[in-house]
Amino acid sequence: MTATSVNPKSPARTRIRVNRLVLYTALVVITGLFLGPFGWLILTGLKAPAELAAAPVHWLPTHFEWHNFVDAYQAVDFLGYARNSLIIATIYATLVTLSSAWVGFGFARLTAPGKKVLFGILIGSMMLPQMITLLPTYLIFAKFGMVDTYWPWVLWGLSSAPYLVFLFRQFFAGLPRELEEAAIVDGCGYGGIFWRIFLPQSWPVLSASFVIAFTWTWGDYIAPQLLLSTDHSTLAVAVMTTYVSAAGTPNTNLQAAASVMYVVPILLIFLVAQRGFVAGMSTSGLK
Amino acid sequence: MTVDQASSPAVGRPHPTAKAGRPRSAATRTGPSMTTRKHRAFYMFASPWIIGFSLLTIAPMAYALWLSFTTYDGISPHWHYVGLGNYRELMGDSVTWDALGRAGLFALLSVPLSIIAGLALAVLVNRPMKGRGLFRTLLYLPAVVPPVGAGIAFKNLFDQNSGAANGVLTFFGFDAIGWLADPYARYVLVMTVLWAAGNIMIISLAGLQDVPRELHEAARIDGASAWRTFRSITVPLLSPVLLFQTVTGVIASVQTIMPMLLAPMAGTGGLTTIPQSNYTYMIHVFSEYFALGRYGYASALLWVLFVLILIATGLIFRFTSGVVFYNVGPEAQK
Repeated sequence: MTATSVNPKSPARTRIRVNRLVLYTALVVITGLFLGPFGWLILTGLKAPAELAAAPVHWLPTHFEWHNFVDAYQAVDFLGYARNSLIIATIYATLVTLSSAWVGFGFARLTAPGKKVLFGILIGSMMLPQMITLLPTYLIFAKFGMVDTYWPWVLWGLSSAPYLVFLFRQFFAGLPRELEEAAIVDGCGYGGIFWRIFLPQSWPVLSASFVIAFTWTWGDYIAPQLLLSTDHSTLAVAVMTTYVSAAGTPNTNLQAAASVMYVVPILLIFLVAQRGFVAGMSTSGLK
Repeated sequence: MTVDQASSPAVGRPHPTAKAGRPRSAATRTGPSMTTRKHRAFYMFASPWIIGFSLLTIAPMAYALWLSFTTYDGISPHWHYVGLGNYRELMGDSVTWDALGRAGLFALLSVPLSIIAGLALAVLVNRPMKGRGLFRTLLYLPAVVPPVGAGIAFKNLFDQNSGAANGVLTFFGFDAIGWLADPYARYVLVMTVLWAAGNIMIISLAGLQDVPRELHEAARIDGASAWRTFRSITVPLLSPVLLFQTVTGVIASVQTIMPMLLAPMAGTGGLTTIPQSNYTYMIHVFSEYFALGRYGYASALLWVLFVLILIATGLIFRFTSGVVFYNVGPEAQK
């Protein structure tokens, strides 16, 4: 690094360089701490069971057991669980993106008596503790025989999510008014205006919303744990509960390897879709 | 917020069709007036949310309220109405109060710490420097890791034998600690929240970038120190963001299921393996529902928590109303 070379002629510049060196060192250390838990998870997934039991901690595996990842994949129906996760997350993300765009359009471009009150309730409902509503919702779904089906995610998807509605509302409210005026003169209904004029303009928000909703569902543990039987459950539940030996002891290294394979797709999606993700987060946090 | 700016047709520039729609007498057109059409259209667009919210949020809450007055257990048909019986039992139940205290302590530790950490990170990576985009991404990454991944990562990191935390302790000659058991488990729980401080970093960063540059320059010319500038300019301007983070942080911490993911045994069957210090209110609710099948009592617990959260949110808003600074100049109206 050039920051270490000191220029004796200008003390001010030296101070800036030292400051910068301190800043970089601090950032590298902090970033290391933040990545540490995930790094340790990967290392655990690469160790043999005997090594995990060894008395002084083995920092690095003596032999990198790459086959742990294959074993974790084969020990349980990993692909089946991943497929369930993929199906549920896709169903929910597609439906909730469309329904939230639909509702968001209404709040952004139309008026009616009671709209302000409804908008207040919508914003307030973002703060509702979801866990509190989930438990009685589970009891109701159980009553209607929807346990162990994908219906709960279809219904949740159709009813839109306040957070995403808000995201779409902000986007649609910023589009010029001429967009729908011309269409109204042409005799186009609001449904048509939404579908043919607004939706094609909103690819950035649509994809951001899809990614956000997909990662929610992929990451959700408690709803599939309650609503789906073990065989039909998602990868989140399987990774948490199925890596146990016949004797009932946890297969720590296989579970670690499996959880790496479970988390990495989400990290990749995030890295690819970073901008929309972060833009969405910031909007929701500020308003 | 400018709710109506884009949606009211009569404001701003008058338009032939909008005008024709306004007076009811303009019945030269066939069908309902523009305004009525617009009203109907609004409700047509809002209906998925209105119906969904009624059926999947209000109805379950009402159902839980009804259950809370009964002894229903999910199986037996011989349940009966007990009025406020469950609530009376709850008042005298020390397990409930202890669990509530633990949830409160957890919120009191995790919310301020993660906000301070997130804000500090935001200030660090807001400086103009090479590679700050990379640092931002890497620091935010843990916040993207789903709870199950975080739970397993921390279980391995703090494992009594094979965990890195004890590895460091024993390396420096200290005794290994049973991190995942009493009384240390609660600190591991707090650390899982701190790990996701990148969330608060990103939101604060967006707020920091809205702070007008001239303010900082003026402060520097006046000879204000960096800390002084931070305290007197940055924090007040960020206060709405920080308030929002406090409220959502408290709500998130109260309903966390992370103790289930850190427990030796996972799933609703493993509820009894959660160490005492991580037996929070929400875990208590789960135990009453799934380990004991006391739906009525558990529903009463849920409603008490719901009301407490409403009160806490109200109190937070009230106590910060004089402190939080809302920038409502013309710039903020955008």
